[in-house]
Amino acid sequence: MHTNEDQSSRETSELFDNLRLELRRGCLAVAVLAQLRREHYGYALRKALADQGLTIDENTLYPLLRRLETQGLLVSQWREEEKRNKRFYHLSPVGEQVLADLLEEWRRMNSALERILVVPQTA
Amino acid sequence: MFTSKNDLFDRYLHAVRFWLPKAQQQDILAELAEDLRSQIEDREAALGHQLSDDEVAALLKQRGSPMTVASGYLPEVRLIDPAMVPLYRVVLKIVLLWVLAPLFVIVFIGPLLASPYPQRVIALACVEGFRACFTAVGIITTVFVLLRRFHLGVDKWDPRKLPRVPAAYQTSARWNHLAAFIFGALAVMFWMYFMWNRTEFAIPDGPRILLSPVWKQVNWILVVFTMLSALSDLLAALRPAQARVRSWIHLGVDACWLVMVAIWLRVDNWVTIVAPKLSARDQAALTTWKNLSIEITLASVAVVIMLDAFFEIRRLRRARLPQSAPVLTAS
Repeated sequence: MHTNEDQSSRETSELFDNLRLELRRGCLAVAVLAQLRREHYGYALRKALADQGLTIDENTLYPLLRRLETQGLLVSQWREEEKRNKRFYHLSPVGEQVLADLLEEWRRMNSALERILVVPQTA
Repeated sequence: MFTSKNDLFDRYLHAVRFWLPKAQQQDILAELAEDLRSQIEDREAALGHQLSDDEVAALLKQRGSPMTVASGYLPEVRLIDPAMVPLYRVVLKIVLLWVLAPLFVIVFIGPLLASPYPQRVIALACVEGFRACFTAVGIITTVFVLLRRFHLGVDKWDPRKLPRVPAAYQTSARWNHLAAFIFGALAVMFWMYFMWNRTEFAIPDGPRILLSPVWKQVNWILVVFTMLSALSDLLAALRPAQARVRSWIHLGVDACWLVMVAIWLRVDNWVTIVAPKLSARDQAALTTWKNLSIEITLASVAVVIMLDAFFEIRRLRRARLPQSAPVLTAS
């Protein structure tokens, strides 16, 4: 029999999923830009990120790459490798500048968050 | 049914293509196909054998439905500017609750109370209500979509032009209750003086209007209900804390009024006109018209009662909310 506790737990889990999604959205873009300081094609990029502990869904990665390219942060080209056509991406000069700014912002936020977490909160 | 691995693969890509914007179809599909092939090769290398149809099907299923995959490449569509959503909600509320709902009550209450087939009137009201709401929501949404399309937003505003915080509800409400009590008391006195024992209206050298016995019942009920309402108004004027009691009494009286009006609408003969100078046929016609006019008046009274009940319910709901205005004043 389902109880109120089950429903409450489900709602909490749903809430966590939504907040996690929001938290990841910005981080993923930064991670992709950072990883593309070196040239990668889509599948290799996904594996490289996964190897470093950041799993990213294909249905998120490819539209993100396309959006970043439209915004001028990435450049891409089709090239043959191992007898197959693959699309290789790398950071554009504008992307390099934006990535530096984003990393600076991320460090500021991260250190602020660390300070907030260290200081004990009074009731 | 036999399906080859390539067949599944091609069918999947073809299905994704259907949902993609034409200009980017080839590019996106080439990249998607390459990614899927790389994934299949990696899986085959890990398993040490070629993937079966079932394993390919599972892999494609894991990737997501063709529509889901394509949706990631489509621009995010927002019909209404998020900043305009509060205004959109207010406009919808005003139009649906404050314009359409009362309008429907006014249009359908008469036929509902007078018709021998009220269920048909209710069915018609439901159909027309749905149609009107659907149209109103459609028009309002279209207007807000156009506002977004032409970038007409709410960016231009001035704190000095915001409406002032309303104050002194209590004083004005007490005066309103007192005025309602005086008006009710005067109405009771007027009715008792002019109508209580009356059986006819006689015009010198003219027709006589004979009142049917139902008027005795009307006299009692009208006086009792009006006195009850007036006394509850007096209570609220003297003891503002009892304003909710007043609202509940008004609601009860309104409900009783509606029941009585529904009963009275089934009365055929309210008055009989006796005019010796007219033919019997003209007298009958005049009587019919007079009775009809009384029925129309009763239907109008029902509408007014329903509006009163609506406002009382709103007053009760607002009374439940905390009074926040003074707290908002900046220190």
